[in-house]
Amino acid sequence: MRRKLEACLEAVNQVLLGKEPQVRLALACLLARGHLLIEDLPGMGKTTLSHALAKVLGLSFQRVQFTSDLLPGDILGTSVFDKDSGQFTFHPGPIFAELVLADEINRATPKSQSALLEAMEEGQVTIEGATRPLPDPFFVIATQNPVSQGGTFALPESQLDRFLMRLSLGYPARGAEKALLLGDSRRALLPQISAVLDHSELAAIQAEVPKVRVSDALVEYVLRLVEATRTQPQFAWGLSPRASLALLAASRAWAYLAGRDYVIPEDVQAVLPSVVGHRLRERADPSGHGGSTLVQGLLREVTPL
Amino acid sequence: MSQIQVIPRISLTWLLVAQVLVILPHLSHLPLWVIGLWLGCAAWRVQIFRMRANYPSTLLKLGLMIATGCGVFLSRGSLIGLDAGVVLLVGAFILKLLEMRTRRDALVLIFLGFFVVVTAYLFDDSITAALYSVLPVTALLAGLIGLQQSSLASRPWDTAKLAAGLMLQALPIMLLLFVFFPRIGPLWSLPMPGGNAVTGLSDSMTPGDIADLSRSGALAFRASFDGEVPPRTELYWRALTLDRFDGRRWSQSSALNYSPSPDWQKAGDPVSYSIVMQPSSQPWLFALDVAETSLPQTRQLSDFRLQRSKPVERSLLYQVTSWPQALREPHGSSTGLRRALQLPANVDPRSRQWARELRQQYPQDEQLVNALLKHFNQQPFVYTLRPPQMSRDSVDDFLFDSRRGFCAHYAGAMTFVLRAAGIPSRVVAGYQGGEYNPNGNYVQVRQFDAHAWVEYWQPDRGWVSVDPTFQVAPERIESGLEQALAGEESFMEGSPFSPLRFRKLAWLNQIRLAWDNLNYSWQRWVLGYQGAQQLELLQRWFGRVEARELIISLVGGGALFLAFIALWLFKPWIRNGAPEQRLFSQFERLLRRHGIYRKAGEVPGHFARRAAIALPRQAPEIIQFYRSFEAQYYAGESIDPKLLRSQLRQLRRALPLRLSRLDRQQ
Repeated sequence: MRRKLEACLEAVNQVLLGKEPQVRLALACLLARGHLLIEDLPGMGKTTLSHALAKVLGLSFQRVQFTSDLLPGDILGTSVFDKDSGQFTFHPGPIFAELVLADEINRATPKSQSALLEAMEEGQVTIEGATRPLPDPFFVIATQNPVSQGGTFALPESQLDRFLMRLSLGYPARGAEKALLLGDSRRALLPQISAVLDHSELAAIQAEVPKVRVSDALVEYVLRLVEATRTQPQFAWGLSPRASLALLAASRAWAYLAGRDYVIPEDVQAVLPSVVGHRLRERADPSGHGGSTLVQGLLREVTPL
Repeated sequence: MSQIQVIPRISLTWLLVAQVLVILPHLSHLPLWVIGLWLGCAAWRVQIFRMRANYPSTLLKLGLMIATGCGVFLSRGSLIGLDAGVVLLVGAFILKLLEMRTRRDALVLIFLGFFVVVTAYLFDDSITAALYSVLPVTALLAGLIGLQQSSLASRPWDTAKLAAGLMLQALPIMLLLFVFFPRIGPLWSLPMPGGNAVTGLSDSMTPGDIADLSRSGALAFRASFDGEVPPRTELYWRALTLDRFDGRRWSQSSALNYSPSPDWQKAGDPVSYSIVMQPSSQPWLFALDVAETSLPQTRQLSDFRLQRSKPVERSLLYQVTSWPQALREPHGSSTGLRRALQLPANVDPRSRQWARELRQQYPQDEQLVNALLKHFNQQPFVYTLRPPQMSRDSVDDFLFDSRRGFCAHYAGAMTFVLRAAGIPSRVVAGYQGGEYNPNGNYVQVRQFDAHAWVEYWQPDRGWVSVDPTFQVAPERIESGLEQALAGEESFMEGSPFSPLRFRKLAWLNQIRLAWDNLNYSWQRWVLGYQGAQQLELLQRWFGRVEARELIISLVGGGALFLAFIALWLFKPWIRNGAPEQRLFSQFERLLRRHGIYRKAGEVPGHFARRAAIALPRQAPEIIQFYRSFEAQYYAGESIDPKLLRSQLRQLRRALPLRLSRLDRQQ
């Protein structure tokens, strides 16, 4: 099973060059049944990553381009009157795919954003009084552009909290970019990827991850980290219990990916920046993006032993 | 040069303030040029800070240093000794300020400053000086705080407040050390500064000497009686006896020091009291007749005075018990009596003649003495501080012509006549009376209480004291010099503003006496709290203690105290975390010895891998230990903790005691 996961990573890395850590984190996020927010400039490979992940894991893929005139119905689906049967039939929206890419999520109005975010949290949608379950592996990758903020609706903290991880892909290394330039078009490579895992295997792995053992000592470390965010003066606010649960879940997935059935502090440290970075703000600048520097401080100050 | 840590502005400010405060008490004895040097250096330093001047060059610094050394040598005649040493120290303190560039220099300056503060006590150890030294110490502390780049860096008053707070916190420790710290005698002794400038009785007397003393209001000593203070007329404080007369000057005979202690018989009720004596630069102590003291290195000389082996250069506290009615040398000593009859040849013929006449008239010694006293009483003798000049036959002049004189004239003349009549007698110099301070129930005796009286020897009765001055001016004995000279206005002529001249103003007198009482308490309980007294106090608290036991218990107590603090801080009984964690700490300590430190926030695994890379030879042991640790601590596998311990032991064995640099491949 783990060999298959390695093969998944391998396949994605073939398409997205030089982004092994991010790919691994994205996979861990998925294994922990979390949703992923990718915050980066346009053209950094956000779509490629989502597409490749969907392919490799054998998931159905839908992309929703969020715009300011996007309505909740455009995401969830609507009932349309069928003349033949004389009934309303439900036309499911793109949310009913297994992997949904919500591109430029901050361009949509809060109303549409919350429709997606509710679906993410509940795992089901209620349309016209009928509750419809979403497909079982359900994974949302939302992207947002941190730079051009004109006409956007930034996600409030409560909604950011719904994402297990926030990643940033960043520029590729020189060698990776050279290979990119010399090789085929990435989009052309995508169809060539074949599914490595099927649904049952993915479900089995997702069931395995929570069973990864967490020792008392490690929980103490997580508690110390969380306490530090709550007591140190530089933090505008501390991490919520949801955040500490998320941190533990992500660490378990990371440990599982590393082939271990227990978590060690390395795992926590590996996922910490992406799990808590978007949940923290500096006291000096509560609306800013100081989260990552705060996380570096946490890594440095809180003793893992 | 970028390594140099500059001195913050606030620290420099406080250092300049501290320097003023430190040097102020020294002003009275520093040579004038040192003060000039100081002002110049301080001004230069300020200009350096304002970037208007450069630091002195090495050559200039050398020159200043040598010039200061030469200056001290020229003005003090030596570079060693306390007086010169202190000037040299102050000079160094001043020059260091100019040279000060780095934080280290500033630290040196501050510590020098503390030392200079202490040396000021050599010149003045009064309560005011002690209280004053709080100021320079606080300023120096503020300078020290200002050196640290703290949040106080721009707030001078807060810095001073913090310094004062620190001083207050040190107070209990100071008190504890004061009470318990053993007073260790000096390892070497140096002549005390200004020893020759003390006013007081000297070992010889021309009549004018005591008149000179009477112009001084300086304190001679204070005496606290255990019981009632005896009446003033009985307070004859013996200092020394003068038994050699050369026609002009009475002096003590050199043989005294070698003669054996006199024999005397205790009689009557004893009087016990303690005396705190001001430095006199003379070896004799003051006491009522006939005195015994427990003070070490002190003995009773053959003229019943107490004498120490060394001159009194510092305030001295001693306990005395006196038997005023004791019988002194009832059998006499032949050498002593012979000395008590010595007279110079060929002077004062009229007095000798008169003595012979008296002898014929009164064959009994006592009758003769009484007649002599009656003579002083009934003839028109005048008690004055302004006697006329005497010719060569001073006793003749006094007895028959001028008849004006001071106690020394009367005592000298009487002794002369007694000797000429064949009665052994001598002049006793000392102090008479003193001012009773009701606030502290003690008597303070000042230099103007200096007095001279007579004692003569009778077979079986021994030495008997008589005071001819009493016959002439009884108010001198009964109420003091000021009353005796009421009509003359010669009392304290030299110091018109001395508070002693205004004793008639009740409120001023009250303040003066209260202040004197405070100073006396300071001397008795703070300065006098030395060896014997300390032991006595501690014995009262803890039973018998020896100095050695005291030191041992002090050191032991200190160690115990620190141990308690350490226990309280480190709490070793609280086992920190799981046994694996403690073993890992040992692992860390082990590797730390080889220069491999776990960084802040570094996870154990990363640390172990780094250590394995740094110590390739011991890598297997390191990795093995870490694997077991991880399995046990994080994977929760139930492995025997002994395994981890034994693996740690293996690693310890694998590691050499010290690695050579080559073994470590960083």
